[in-house]
Amino acid sequence: MASLASVGQPAGHVEGPSKVTGQARYTADIRLPGLLYGKCLRSPFPHARIVSIDTSQAKALAGVHAVITGAELPDRRIGRFFLDKPVLARDVVRFVGEKVVAVAAESMDIAEEALTRIAVEYEALPAVFDPVEAMQEDAPRVHADTSTYTHPPVPDFVHPGDDRLYPDIPNVVSQVFYTHGDIEAGFAQAAREFTHTFTIPPVHQGYIEPHASVVQIEPDGKVNLWISNKTPFVARAQFAAALGVAEDRVCVNTAPIGGDFGGKGSLMDGVVCYHLAAAAGRPVKMVMSYTEELLAGNPRHPAVITLRTGVDANGRIVARKARLVFSCGAYSAFTPLHTVHGSVHAAGPYRMPNVEIEVFRVYTNTVPAGHMRAPGAPQIVFGVESHMDLIAQELGLDPLEFRLRNTLIEGDAAPLGEKWKKIRCKETLEAAAKEAKWGAEKTANRGRGIGMYDREPGAFGPSSATLSIAADATLTLMTGAADTGTGSYTILQQVVAEELQVPLESVRVVQGSTDSAPWEVGAGGSRLTHMAGQATLAAVQRLKEGLTAFAARHMETPSEQVAYRAGEFVNTNGQHLALPTLMAALAGREELPLRYTGEYVAEDPMDVTSFCAQIAEVEVDPATGQVTLQKLTTAHDVGTVLNPLTHQGQVEGGAIQGVGHALTEHLIVQDGAVTNVHLGDYKLPTSMDIPELKTVLVESDAGPAPYAGKAIGEHSNVAVPAAVANAVFDAVGVRLMDLPVTAEKVYTALREKTARSRTMRRGNS
Amino acid sequence: MIAFEYVEPESLEEVLALLEQHGEDAKVLAGGTGLINLMKQRLVQPAYLIGLRQLARSPELAEIRPNGGLTIGALCSHRTIETSALIQHRLPLLATTFRHVASVRIRTAATLGGSLAHADPNQDPPPALLVLDARIRIQSRHGAREIELGDFFVDYYETALEPEELITTVVIPPQPADTGTAFLKFLPQTHDDYATIAVAALVSLDGDTIAQARIALGAAAATPLRARAVETALQGQAPTPQVIHAAAALVAEEVDPLADFRGSVEYKRDMAVVFTQRAIEQAVTHARGASGNV
Amino acid sequence: MKSIQLRVNGQAVERDVADNTLLIDFLRNGLDLTGTKEGCSVGVCGACTVLLDGQPVSSCLTLAVTADGCEVTTIEGLTEGDRLHPLQKAFIDYGGFQCGICTPGQIMSAKALLDENPHPSKDEIQSWMMGNLCRCTGYYKIIESIQAVADGKVST
Ligand SMILES: Cc1cc2nc3c(=O)[nH]c(=O)nc-3n(C[C@H](O)[C@H](O)[C@H](O)COP(=O)(O)OP(=O)(O)OC[C@H]3O[C@@H](n4cnc5c(N)ncnc54)[C@H](O)[C@@H]3O)c2cc1C
Ligand code: FES
Ligand code: FES
Repeated sequence: MASLASVGQPAGHVEGPSKVTGQARYTADIRLPGLLYGKCLRSPFPHARIVSIDTSQAKALAGVHAVITGAELPDRRIGRFFLDKPVLARDVVRFVGEKVVAVAAESMDIAEEALTRIAVEYEALPAVFDPVEAMQEDAPRVHADTSTYTHPPVPDFVHPGDDRLYPDIPNVVSQVFYTHGDIEAGFAQAAREFTHTFTIPPVHQGYIEPHASVVQIEPDGKVNLWISNKTPFVARAQFAAALGVAEDRVCVNTAPIGGDFGGKGSLMDGVVCYHLAAAAGRPVKMVMSYTEELLAGNPRHPAVITLRTGVDANGRIVARKARLVFSCGAYSAFTPLHTVHGSVHAAGPYRMPNVEIEVFRVYTNTVPAGHMRAPGAPQIVFGVESHMDLIAQELGLDPLEFRLRNTLIEGDAAPLGEKWKKIRCKETLEAAAKEAKWGAEKTANRGRGIGMYDREPGAFGPSSATLSIAADATLTLMTGAADTGTGSYTILQQVVAEELQVPLESVRVVQGSTDSAPWEVGAGGSRLTHMAGQATLAAVQRLKEGLTAFAARHMETPSEQVAYRAGEFVNTNGQHLALPTLMAALAGREELPLRYTGEYVAEDPMDVTSFCAQIAEVEVDPATGQVTLQKLTTAHDVGTVLNPLTHQGQVEGGAIQGVGHALTEHLIVQDGAVTNVHLGDYKLPTSMDIPELKTVLVESDAGPAPYAGKAIGEHSNVAVPAAVANAVFDAVGVRLMDLPVTAEKVYTALREKTARSRTMRRGNS
Repeated sequence: MIAFEYVEPESLEEVLALLEQHGEDAKVLAGGTGLINLMKQRLVQPAYLIGLRQLARSPELAEIRPNGGLTIGALCSHRTIETSALIQHRLPLLATTFRHVASVRIRTAATLGGSLAHADPNQDPPPALLVLDARIRIQSRHGAREIELGDFFVDYYETALEPEELITTVVIPPQPADTGTAFLKFLPQTHDDYATIAVAALVSLDGDTIAQARIALGAAAATPLRARAVETALQGQAPTPQVIHAAAALVAEEVDPLADFRGSVEYKRDMAVVFTQRAIEQAVTHARGASGNV
Repeated sequence: MKSIQLRVNGQAVERDVADNTLLIDFLRNGLDLTGTKEGCSVGVCGACTVLLDGQPVSSCLTLAVTADGCEVTTIEGLTEGDRLHPLQKAFIDYGGFQCGICTPGQIMSAKALLDENPHPSKDEIQSWMMGNLCRCTGYYKIIESIQAVADGKVST
């Protein structure tokens, strides 16, 4: 490949100036004439029958323009895959925070005041909060009857499993088996077996922008929607279905997204907002408070993870059986899939010929769960990588050595049978170990711990992009994808600049609304650099071909003898035609700007993955249990790094989310209700809570994105909790089986350990 | 936000008159960092909000003045106290303590008077002020009174302040010679958190023995508290590790922590012991190197 | 209702505001200065940071009436014509933001820091910026961006 001019260079965000000057208008910043403000009254009960609702006092309040209840809305359920959630509760509420009544008023203050004037009478029903309990025969049923709930077929880009939707098990939404090899035969070969269970609480995505929606209905009924949603075209389809109208009656407009991390893929308040706007006859804006976010957003699934592993006499894994139970909360509506697809990682990046993974998603009377950065993986990897250390300890092996014996190497089939090429698992782990000085002397109460993960680039759904060139030769790439902050627009800009060999600044990137941009799945699953990148590449290719034809005509040379080179066309006679000259010549003759749309669908399943190895070094204060993360090493097997600045930004941001997940973050749920409901109590890491971070990139040249790039967005956050828990064990010999690793848990475990060793000593004497 | 009427009197007299007139219906607004949050949650719903902003011109309420010890106006912001050269020089304990409160942005707005009247037991300044034997001056239309800070905190978010009263000044008496202090805020979660346990210690030495010790804790009960038993156990003793260890252990009986997401009752009690011991040790070290400043 | 007079980004402003209007809502809804963002609404996240007479405050905890007579600076006040403030440029060049929702607040806090202490150490930057949460960057590049300005590496 020729040397790359734009690709591979650090480039600041193309949309930077609008964001650093405050000009960028996020959804909450949209202002329209006659705008009203919407707010919802939410359920204080985890499970109750609605006996009566009296909204008369609220309706009578000056400045209130609409008050609506579930009973007044069409009986249509909404969701991203399972359509199981009413827009406002009908008859029954199923979690604390469920929306019951919606109000639109002249101001937020009036809307809030109106909520205090609504009287709802409830009759409490038995509730269930724990997913394992919810599966018992005598458990209360969160949904009395799911037979009328609908869903599309399981899409084929999902790892093939044996999928059972609404099987005959109490409260179970889906039960999925992933198997490979012969599990019984595998365990028969095992010299030793180990079984451990881990518990992971729900965590919030922690984006700083709470969900917002704005709906404006035009006189002819066409609906304009602005929404903090990273997949505008998918949102349009779901929104139109929820309204019962054709998709072309809805336009999802663009607005930057103030952080996603998987949490901004639903309609959230969009549909309520529409009904309020329809009832009030005026546009309505709804912005969730952060309290509503924490109480009733769509957090990461809490999970109970049981792993059973058989190991042969040489410390090689021969079989793994995993049972993964995820609570999806009261509704399954917030995930785009039937299951938690991170479950395929329950075998880890290790050679294991016999695997059986059984995954349940279970209804409970808690906040509905959604997606968060590498959905399912951090929970599972906390289990898997803690389990690896527990086994190593039992076998008397160093955790690094035990992993090195089992990591995938070139030529291996992955546990579920995938045949990856260019496997760099061992190399990545070794690079991390070297950087982290694994094995080097440690002072007292210091420990190191490893966590590993692998994830392939996202490849689902079509992507497309339109590149246009105007009379003055300016280039504009229009995409329908939302840049959630990851820098994808900048990558696309770099691709265009690279291919056309023009300066970066000469390429504009704009997001089009669903009315103006070509269809695009949008952000998610680490797919944009790959998919939108390839679509952009295709668009540039078409533009080059199209312009070459025009240039050939202009130069009166056959097309084959004209080549494009850095802003001009050259023919075999040595004649040059600059792009601006060509465009000026086309003005008046062709309809300008010229538009070329590129489309891309990944035909084959991915044949590469990316490995990640992380090593945490902690210091534990044995008197208090306080864990200080001193250093975090994160090693990644990457393809071509298209933009080192934004690539590193993903690594760093992800790593610190992992740190939060490891040490401080959890939604504290009591009797079904989240109790830490503001950001003072839900502890996100601050600038003072970050460790020394060492990043190691193990580069290879195999990736499906343009220029052999891979994905990086959902890697560095995943294995940190396991690495930290393993490091704590290394430091002070206590093992935590649940997250987060709080000082109190470590302290309590240390005391129990001391008490145990005292009893043992007494027993021995 | 709830509705209320905002007034911003020009003088202390007017503020006191309004407080007298509206009683329970009124609240004074200083930095607003505590009160506005409570009002947003509808936990406090005053009909009248009396802004104290204009009183910032009054030296009594807004200045830090040497006076044997020091007097600090109730309207001094946390940031003013933290960065005051006088305080850094004379009472480094206070500079350290106020620097531990929240973020710069909150400290810029939050005032000394507010930090006391707010009376959240998890706050940092009260234990430090308690070990300095601070007194607070309170004024109403009927006159002024001065009480010991220890008598000011009555219960969870409850103080000895009457509705018509205003805190005007905090008075810090001169401290004993050869004194060392320490303030420890235990933050096992993130750095922007409230304390899981906070301990302030003041120790003055007479040669090799402890002439006086004052220990106070935050986040250890429904109110900030003085650990009198610990103080008594230290008094007149040589500050050996054994003495400090035994004295600190007594704090377990004095605290009565509330369980929350920062820790269980048992954990906070155990941490009170650990940090009391550490705070005493630090204060002793400082006292040994002390040059008369606290 | 109260009539207030203040200067916002150097411009004299005179408005009637309800007694209970928060400064953040006055700026965003009253003056259409939506660069100031609302995240937590309780003083923790710093997205709403503005300078009040040069000092950083949470506009979500400040009443508009208490800005009467003051000078308020928001993110919109940092650019001079088309010229970015060095901090704004640094945040782009050094990757100091991703989604950008926290960025106006980060930059206003950083400005307050550099106004008071033009050459802060890395530790001073970290501790000053503690009150501005960012979920995207993990803070490393925010610190680098501010450091770059303090070190005079950024010209506009
Ligand atoms: C995000 C955040 C983090 C925080 N973290 C910490 C922390 O780590 N440590 C800590 O110690 N605190 C912390 N706080 C609490 C903070 O210190 C208090 O909110 C603050 O001290 C209150 O002072 P104020 O001037 O803002 O009071 P205001 O909010 O104005 O008033 C608080 C109360 O005091 C009354 N009052 C105010 N002044 C007087 C007076 N002169 N006389 C009589 N009554 C008066 C008011 O009527 C009101 O009832 C935090 C607050 C926030 C918002
Ligand atoms: S919105 Fe004001 S500090 Fe978070
Ligand atoms: S850039 Fe997204 S929160 Fe900071």
